[in-house]
Amino acid sequence: MLSQNELERYGRQMMLFGENGQEKLKSARVVIAGAGGLGCPAATYLAVAGIGHLRIIDHDTVERSNLNRQILHWDKDIGVSKTSSAGEKLMAINPDIEIEVVRVTLDEETAPDLVSDADAIVDAMDNYPTRYLLNHLACKFGIPLFHGAIRGFDGQATTIIPGKTACLSCIFPKAPPKEIFPVIGVTPGIIGMIQANEVLKYFLGIGDQLGNRLIIWDGLRSVLETIQVERDPSCTECSHITSNPLEKVK
Amino acid sequence: MNVRIKAFARFREIIGAENTLDLEEGSSVLGALKSLSERSKDFRDACFDIDGTIASHVVLMINGKRISGSDRETVVLHDGDELAIFPPVAGG
Repeated sequence: MLSQNELERYGRQMMLFGENGQEKLKSARVVIAGAGGLGCPAATYLAVAGIGHLRIIDHDTVERSNLNRQILHWDKDIGVSKTSSAGEKLMAINPDIEIEVVRVTLDEETAPDLVSDADAIVDAMDNYPTRYLLNHLACKFGIPLFHGAIRGFDGQATTIIPGKTACLSCIFPKAPPKEIFPVIGVTPGIIGMIQANEVLKYFLGIGDQLGNRLIIWDGLRSVLETIQVERDPSCTECSHITSNPLEKVK
Repeated sequence: MNVRIKAFARFREIIGAENTLDLEEGSSVLGALKSLSERSKDFRDACFDIDGTIASHVVLMINGKRISGSDRETVVLHDGDELAIFPPVAGG
């Protein structure tokens, strides 16, 4: 049941999908893995849209060099944990939702318990080993994973529905070399919002998801291209999954 | 024969968004990429492993269709083909 505040807050978007759609967003529990360049815009737009429970996970502390892109962290937050900084802003942006922050490094020990009860996972990481771990857990628990990554003016995004679409390992069997990547804030802004848009459509059950499609954003040319991808029958992560256990959610 | 090369992300920074290669009939994907490597050491370093094989993370597509697997270096190109090369990005 939506409160009077919520009916007012979400009135303009309920013109698109009604109170029923808003209730679906309110009942959703979304994990945002990373409170950096991608996590900040994704979390912001999921919060204002009314996702009922956001769990923000990050282990880092805000540094001055983060501030060109990580828009939830401000100059006053330098030295503060990113989870604390992000949590404070998100609660101020929308007090009608639950914000949970977890300051921890996502690894094989910590991650399973933090994602297993989620309805969706946003991959807002900055490295492939952790992305592969999230992909592994998404496949294991049958949770949709919303992938995004950036470098410079370039970005990519796809939506992974375990058992239904190509998973991260199908699309990228091998990780690119590790590097300190150049970045300008607009790029994770664009990709993070594409991820948030995918999450909202998933819960609302509207539109077409980015499953089996990898979109590539070229910010210097302002071109968005799509690559068709497909499941790898020999994928070690997802080839054994024959149906998506979350289909009933939609 | 002419093959169009469409480069994304880091590859685009090195060789530009689109190039046309004049290759011998029957040239393979590997041949096309080696031809580009002769033009640019940066391209060679970004596209190939030290042992001379195409770096495993590089995504290759011919006419919009992804080519993968161990035979991706030997796939033969044809006149008018478009070979796209894309390095996944990693940052967040």
